[in-house]
Amino acid sequence: MGWEFRNKAAVCGIGLGPVAKDTGLGNTALIGAAVREALADCGLAKAKLDGLFVNAGVDVDRLAENLGLACRYANQAWTHGRLSGPIVQSAALACVAGLADYIACIYSIDISERGGGFGGGRSHAHEEGREGGGPHGEMPHYGLTHPGSGAAMAMRKYMARYGATAEQLGMVAVTQRAHAALNPAAMMKAPMTLADYLAARPVIEPLRLFDFCVVNDGAICVIVTTAERARDLRKPPVHIAGMQGLRAGREEFVFGRPGLGVWQQTEREDLPQVHPVFAMAGVERKDVDGLMIYDSFSPQVIFGLEEFGYVGPGEAAAWIASGNGRLDGRLPVNTHGGHLSEGMLAGWGHQLEAVRQLRGEAGARQIPDAEVIQYLMGTGVSIIYTR
Amino acid sequence: MSQRPQPRITDDNRPHWEGAREGRLVLPYCEACARFFYPISPFCPFCLKAPVAWKPVSGRGRVSSWVVFHKAFYPYFADRLPYVVVQVELEEGPRVNGNLFGLDPGSIRLGLPVEATFEREGAEVTLPQFRARAAP
Repeated sequence: MGWEFRNKAAVCGIGLGPVAKDTGLGNTALIGAAVREALADCGLAKAKLDGLFVNAGVDVDRLAENLGLACRYANQAWTHGRLSGPIVQSAALACVAGLADYIACIYSIDISERGGGFGGGRSHAHEEGREGGGPHGEMPHYGLTHPGSGAAMAMRKYMARYGATAEQLGMVAVTQRAHAALNPAAMMKAPMTLADYLAARPVIEPLRLFDFCVVNDGAICVIVTTAERARDLRKPPVHIAGMQGLRAGREEFVFGRPGLGVWQQTEREDLPQVHPVFAMAGVERKDVDGLMIYDSFSPQVIFGLEEFGYVGPGEAAAWIASGNGRLDGRLPVNTHGGHLSEGMLAGWGHQLEAVRQLRGEAGARQIPDAEVIQYLMGTGVSIIYTR
Repeated sequence: MSQRPQPRITDDNRPHWEGAREGRLVLPYCEACARFFYPISPFCPFCLKAPVAWKPVSGRGRVSSWVVFHKAFYPYFADRLPYVVVQVELEEGPRVNGNLFGLDPGSIRLGLPVEATFEREGAEVTLPQFRARAAP
């Protein structure tokens, strides 16, 4: 009876810490800045925070000490972006269940300190060689080393099957760069044309440089509470109207559509599958004013649109290339610039943008009268936010 | 010379690597389900039976996807750019991965017929790889 949960929880406060190639700050300092901003955003006293859920950066126990909290709900998730949505969902459930009143959800990355970026070097090498293989299908002995290689493999098959072109794929990055130019917090604001995109070097074909997200330091704090409590704070509540979980299984791949990945064995054509998020939220696709699609690699935008039935299989690349996802298009996508241009914040930047849009705080990139914003990933996780 | 990143050889996948050392592509096989499966796991993903049997496959298959690396994320691969990683659908069903040798990356197509070949990496490690074959 998921609909009984509709609009019972809300995001009440958001905070964005420093975001830069190298902030010169460690995770704890980055998180501190994000938490201060989130508390100030909603006018909540620190002492009211009684829940803490860490996605990445530090251990929840240490952070609770550093923040001087007395938490009755502490939780921690694996340090990967696909869990940002599920963390918000779990925090919402915990608040509605009364396990905590206000839960600070935390993401932080100090990748400049860890060094090496993704796909090699010292920071992620240990992940790629983990028992059972890397979390994104990495097989370093074959040189299949970077998380983006799975997105590339999924996109290659998609292009071969549907005839999608490099020019169409490039419009994902071009569209989001135009949005980032309107976002003061975005890292990549310089104008980019399709010709610029095509002229950039190939990295893992069929992906070029601008199909990859920015690699950066940064931190975010999202405070979740009940809708009732949220009404008493400084900013209007952004309700969590509906949600559905992250899928996992033999045909699910984090950066693909079901069946499209590195180790996936069969391919499904029967898209879209049932998405309970819409019924739970009580909205239909036509009611959605904007989409926040997880985009560490540009193909994810294409896969997400198709998986959730906004277009049919094989249609998303042309849909984006025709301008439908632009701020002035039929259904704006990633109005903050996404991971590709705002910065890699593991899906948390997407949650912040959903909140800003529904509060009317998105400035030059505001979607007029935005009432419903959906966050989604091609691998099933979604949250529908409403005013 | 920087070293190639090594596969993690464990009790769960040892027969695969021992087979490769002998020039055979060996995959996990469930006797109860009478089918091969992949990725490698210590039990069958369909019936959870353990231990699994291991059997050689033909090594013949067709390219089901591929990528071309133009950047070396590990120093070892710097001299090998550009290199190709394929997903191959074997005649026996499973889709496995490896490098594809001997072809210009621009000439690779979905469904390209390939066969296994073996790249000796040292006393312990031989990597199953792929090369083009004439279609039957």
